[in-house]
Amino acid sequence: MDPTEDNKAKDENVANERLHVGSRNEFEDVDRKVIDVNDREIGVFKIDGEFYALANYCPHQGGPVCEGEITGTIAAKKDDEWSLSYERENEIVACPWHGWEFDITSGENLTTDDFAVPRYDVVVEGSDIYIEI
Amino acid sequence: MSQTGTVKTLSQVETIIDTDFHLTERQSDVAPYLEELYGKLLNVTGDDYGYHGDVFPSPGFVSPVTSGKVSSDTVRSADTVIEGMDELDIDRAIITPTLGLSLPVMHHDELAGAFATAYNSYIQDQFLDEEDRLYSAIIVAPQQPAEAAAEIDDRADDRGIVAALIPGSGVHPPLGAERYHPIYEACEDAGLPILLHNAASSWMQNYPFQARGFKRYLSVHSLSHPMDHMVNLTSLIVNGIPVQFPDLEFVLQEGGLGWIPFMMRRLDHEYRSKREDAPLLAEGPYEMPSEYILEHCYFTSQPLEGAYDPEYLSNVLDMFEAENNLMFSSDYPHLDFDHTREILTYFKGFGDSEINNIFGGTAKEVFGI
Repeated sequence: MDPTEDNKAKDENVANERLHVGSRNEFEDVDRKVIDVNDREIGVFKIDGEFYALANYCPHQGGPVCEGEITGTIAAKKDDEWSLSYERENEIVACPWHGWEFDITSGENLTTDDFAVPRYDVVVEGSDIYIEI
Repeated sequence: MSQTGTVKTLSQVETIIDTDFHLTERQSDVAPYLEELYGKLLNVTGDDYGYHGDVFPSPGFVSPVTSGKVSSDTVRSADTVIEGMDELDIDRAIITPTLGLSLPVMHHDELAGAFATAYNSYIQDQFLDEEDRLYSAIIVAPQQPAEAAAEIDDRADDRGIVAALIPGSGVHPPLGAERYHPIYEACEDAGLPILLHNAASSWMQNYPFQARGFKRYLSVHSLSHPMDHMVNLTSLIVNGIPVQFPDLEFVLQEGGLGWIPFMMRRLDHEYRSKREDAPLLAEGPYEMPSEYILEHCYFTSQPLEGAYDPEYLSNVLDMFEAENNLMFSSDYPHLDFDHTREILTYFKGFGDSEINNIFGGTAKEVFGI
């Protein structure tokens, strides 16, 4: 086999490796499950009908980030004359070890984008949910 | 900066001794050990922090625990201590209180002393007599120094006792005052170092009054531990406690790091022109306040501010001889605890013997274990 073809085939295999992590009806409206996959823990979140997957390993000190509270967060905007508001309801998970907040949809830390929890792409086919690893 | 040693994983470290492993004790854990009179005085049931946690006025913190973003483990038994230690790869632990840290601001002085005694009995009974891997300090209520001294004499030889602990937050007057001398004498006689540990809620009571204007836990907690240490350390040095008690050692816990080289140099700078304010220092074996600090004080590692700034961290550690004066601590299970791994991850530029010192070698010497 032509070496470049061999690599291409390998790349396709890697990109397409899918793991079935559950079915739609196993999730409530706002929900999360932590699954064990090949010695990795992955948190699968359902937020308003969409699915997201994050590694259950906090970039801070390795805590179980996907097991934290799913909430919004406090903000203060100039348009509100800096009064306190609450935003991004159900978009944020806080690592239970030290409270670091992460955007579930992107994995990014709210304080600085220097830190992020690794994400996995989620594919939904019918009622089946897959993550790509 | 690259790691210069061969120790790369926790399992390669000789011994890991956690010098600040907290219980999350409730009043109901300690109350059964109260002398009868005080048990009747309180007449309590309930699994909350109780009168003991009711510091007046209440600081009313909204912390990440209050908001649910942090979920701290419960540690109220030898089993849960061992569980936490095993999870963090810790070999031996010096246990420290949570509730007990509020003793200095408890308004009823005798009750504070009674709670200190009860806590010590609770620790001995349920922790030190149960597990060889656990050690503790004799906690004292600083407002009852004579009673504290007697208790130190009594308990110094009990299994697992390796220090005395003075909760430092809100202590009034600061710890260099003459009234505390009986505690220092008792510790020096018994060969016990003194742990100094502060608390954000107690700090809000007595020092500084301005801090009562803080309306966020972030503000309070950023300053409380190191500032209280700065007050008590200054008081101890300027009053010449190390000169009067030359064998006494202090372990300042949970204050962070950068303030240590600052205080050493700040006090030296000030002392040069204000010698007359600290006449005892000239009578001791060292010239400058910083030397007394280096010789009489140890510090615990958590929380590591500057973890993501390796140049800051390596310079700071160098400037107070951390390879000899710093001891690993986790502060588990509090909400800003450091995992044991953090030292290996961030202390670049240290060789094996220094890493082993910080993880346990220095603690073995300081605590005689």
